[in-house]
Amino acid sequence: MKIKGKSSSGLRIIIVGAGKVGRTLVEQLSKEGHDITIIDRNAYKVREISSNYDIMGCVGNGASYTTQTEAGINDADLIIAVTESDELNLLCCTIASQFSNCASIARVRTPDYSKEVGYLREKLGLAMIINPELESAKEMARLLYLPTALEINSFAHGQAEIVKLKIPVGNKLDGMAIYDLGKNLTNDILICAVERNGNVTIPGGDFVLKAGDNISFVAAHKAAVYFLNLIGFDTRQVKNTMIIGGGRAAYYLADQLIRNGVEVKIIERSRTRCEELYELLPKALIINGDGTDPALLKEEGILRCESFVPLTGIDEENVMLSLHVKNISNAKLITKINRPGFSEIIDKLDLGSVVYPRYITSEAIIAYVRARSAAKDSNIETLYHMFNSKAEAIEFNVTKESELTDVELRNLKLKDNLLISFIIHDGKTIIPTGNDKISVGDSVMVVTTHLGFTDITNILK
Amino acid sequence: MNIPMIRYTLSQVLRIEGAFLLLPCIVSLVYQENVGITYFIIALVLMLTGTAGSFVKPKDPVIYLKEGCVATSLSWILMSVAGCLPFFLTGEIPHFTDALFETVSGFTTTGASILSNVEGMSHTGLFWRSFTHWLGGMGVLVFLLAVIPMSGGSNINLMRAESPGPSVGKLVPKIKHTARILYLIYLVMTLIETILLIAGGMSVFDSLALSFGTAGTGGFGVKNDSFASYTPYVQWVAGIFMLLFGVNFNAYYYMLLRQFKRAFGIEEVRKYIMIILLSTGVIFVNIIKMYDNAFTALTHAFFQVTSIISTTGFGSTDFDQWPTMSKLILIFLMFIGACAGSTGGGIKVSRIIILLKSIRKEFSSYIHPKIVRKTTMDGRAVEHDVVRSINVFFITYMTLLLLSMFLVTADGHDLVTSFTAVLATLSNIGPGLAKVGPTCNYAFFSNLSKYVLILDMLAGRLELFPILILFHPKLYKGIIGGKRN
Repeated sequence: MKIKGKSSSGLRIIIVGAGKVGRTLVEQLSKEGHDITIIDRNAYKVREISSNYDIMGCVGNGASYTTQTEAGINDADLIIAVTESDELNLLCCTIASQFSNCASIARVRTPDYSKEVGYLREKLGLAMIINPELESAKEMARLLYLPTALEINSFAHGQAEIVKLKIPVGNKLDGMAIYDLGKNLTNDILICAVERNGNVTIPGGDFVLKAGDNISFVAAHKAAVYFLNLIGFDTRQVKNTMIIGGGRAAYYLADQLIRNGVEVKIIERSRTRCEELYELLPKALIINGDGTDPALLKEEGILRCESFVPLTGIDEENVMLSLHVKNISNAKLITKINRPGFSEIIDKLDLGSVVYPRYITSEAIIAYVRARSAAKDSNIETLYHMFNSKAEAIEFNVTKESELTDVELRNLKLKDNLLISFIIHDGKTIIPTGNDKISVGDSVMVVTTHLGFTDITNILK
Repeated sequence: MNIPMIRYTLSQVLRIEGAFLLLPCIVSLVYQENVGITYFIIALVLMLTGTAGSFVKPKDPVIYLKEGCVATSLSWILMSVAGCLPFFLTGEIPHFTDALFETVSGFTTTGASILSNVEGMSHTGLFWRSFTHWLGGMGVLVFLLAVIPMSGGSNINLMRAESPGPSVGKLVPKIKHTARILYLIYLVMTLIETILLIAGGMSVFDSLALSFGTAGTGGFGVKNDSFASYTPYVQWVAGIFMLLFGVNFNAYYYMLLRQFKRAFGIEEVRKYIMIILLSTGVIFVNIIKMYDNAFTALTHAFFQVTSIISTTGFGSTDFDQWPTMSKLILIFLMFIGACAGSTGGGIKVSRIIILLKSIRKEFSSYIHPKIVRKTTMDGRAVEHDVVRSINVFFITYMTLLLLSMFLVTADGHDLVTSFTAVLATLSNIGPGLAKVGPTCNYAFFSNLSKYVLILDMLAGRLELFPILILFHPKLYKGIIGGKRN
């Protein structure tokens, strides 16, 4: 045993800021077995969090060198700064990288900086800059381009997508076995996970789909649209959207949508913020008013809106607004939930697509951490938690030869409940069959209910 | 209440205790003593019961503070009852109450004995008696956390209830590693002391037993006169090690990390050493005329001061014969106790420091009624919550002391005997003054008094509240009564 208490697999990670994101990170990373120290100014928060998770707490200003030393920066592998303030986060990381050779990740949310992220990252020597608001805006935008999907995550720099949808009653898919899909519909998609009554399965060929199942399938973007058309889903992008609340998330979303030709209407309570938004987004329609007032919504034409995205800072308001709009119109709904912990209730409500910005942040960081702690045969490019973290979709970049490269897939002994969903070989997306093989340089996506893979070789038995 | 988790913890404790009972079995093989068979059978029974009880893992591993306290207290009670069985069943201590008293005194590292003839015990029995100190010193649940994989971060609540001191900090992020580091430091220091004692010409058995007694700051000896017949070399080695085991273990961890400045900068440790030096000095001057030469007087003064402040309770001389002033200093030291985060008992130096600082703070608020001031420790403001809990701790300590005294005086002994008996058990020291002085023992108390003192020892070791909460009626709501909750 080593004195410093280093475990063989875990990294030593310092998290600055015990807010919502900090807490999610603690929860997820401590589950993966890392040694975590949390720094926050608020002693009460530190004590609370360190008595709920197996981590160490440290009270102080995370940007001060003394506090960082106390938290063990000299031996740390990674520092993640997720305090309220962007500047403090950047300062934390800069100071840390001056005194120790640990990697650093900062959360930077302000639009002023978001355009300079690449420059900041390089000049300040950061491993990663995360912007949960921007990432969740991107996810919401994807959902508005393909409104019939419940969730869309993109892989391989947008070359492939994983789309989640619910099979409605009377759909073609109801009662169809997976191996009949290719015969009857298309060969270009692959159903990689099915959730039925809260249980997630990676389906085999004889699995029969039923109405009410949530399915996730993988396909290139065009193939996904084609498939959705085939099974009778509407695949038109929405023409207009109404956003309630004019915060950072609203700005990022509106910015994305306007560039893709969607009409955006933002209702914001504060007059000054409205004026700011007008300057930032000249093409958007900015309404100054209380977006939680049904009369105002009606006046602003909620009945004719094709999509509705409540982005107030309060989860309860967002939920109520979504339920209200669901009741009076057929608009596509996206509900943003900041506080997880009530997901079993949220799942029961009919809220359309639900986006959790906190998970988006932690997924990116976990992908990075797993890649760092793994052997170097492969890198994790992206990671998504599916179905409330009951399954994971991981994209690996295969960088080195190993026992599974250049072997036909049917000859590999893979774990159960695991599916190689696609292989990107020379820029082409392949939905693999038993004859395909993985080569060095490929990107491989795996969907599995075994959680915690760090390397491509983990898929073998 | 998470009953399955408490059941699981208790079973694991029994299993570990069973495994440790094999050690005296080895001793019995070495000395060819028949009692070893009884020990072996008890060890097997404990291990089997423990394994059976921990076979089914609880579904929900979350332990809240309440469960942590209950699990810890029950563990200690169960451990003591199981640990006294060898004494009772071999007939070496014929009465159950006495056997339980001796074992509780061992595990809580008190060192108060009911044996009048220690030398008449078997080696096996003496070994187990001293080993209970070693196990109880760092805490059996800390050991449990170090060796048993327990999931979930809430296990800190187990450690919190068992560790001495106002607030529990971890050394490293993972509780398992923290517990391992603590035990590693503990083990290495015990070994060093054993080697030094053997080098002083002591037998291996005596060295081990006395090192266990010192390490846990317990105080069970293997001779009738405790430490009086050993050479000054041995007395100095033991004295220094008693001092060392009373130091906050964080200091040793910092030293391992080569952060010497930080280790010696801990305010509590500095004040602890200052108190020792000052008390030794005053007592030395006070007793110098009682002994043949100054060196002997210094040896006894130092030995007795470290022995009492670290709450060990070895005696190198009959300090009951000392002048009243010296005895009073020893009583002060009994209250103060060792550092938080050490293996010692008492109120703890850090609590005393903070309490005294609050007096200063109160004074300044009389002079400047609107002054804003915070009590500081190690250059940092102490949270109000910590100060509050220290105040309550002090009051509870005093209340428990007075109540127990009241019950013990029913036996009709003199005031000094009753007072120091309760104080010496509540602070986990062992010997008191007058009839419970270093040359005497606790055998003469009535059963009622013995049970009161057993409770005091447990309460003192577990920082009062985890034990006292067992008497809170609300805890049993929903378990015994209705189905609600």
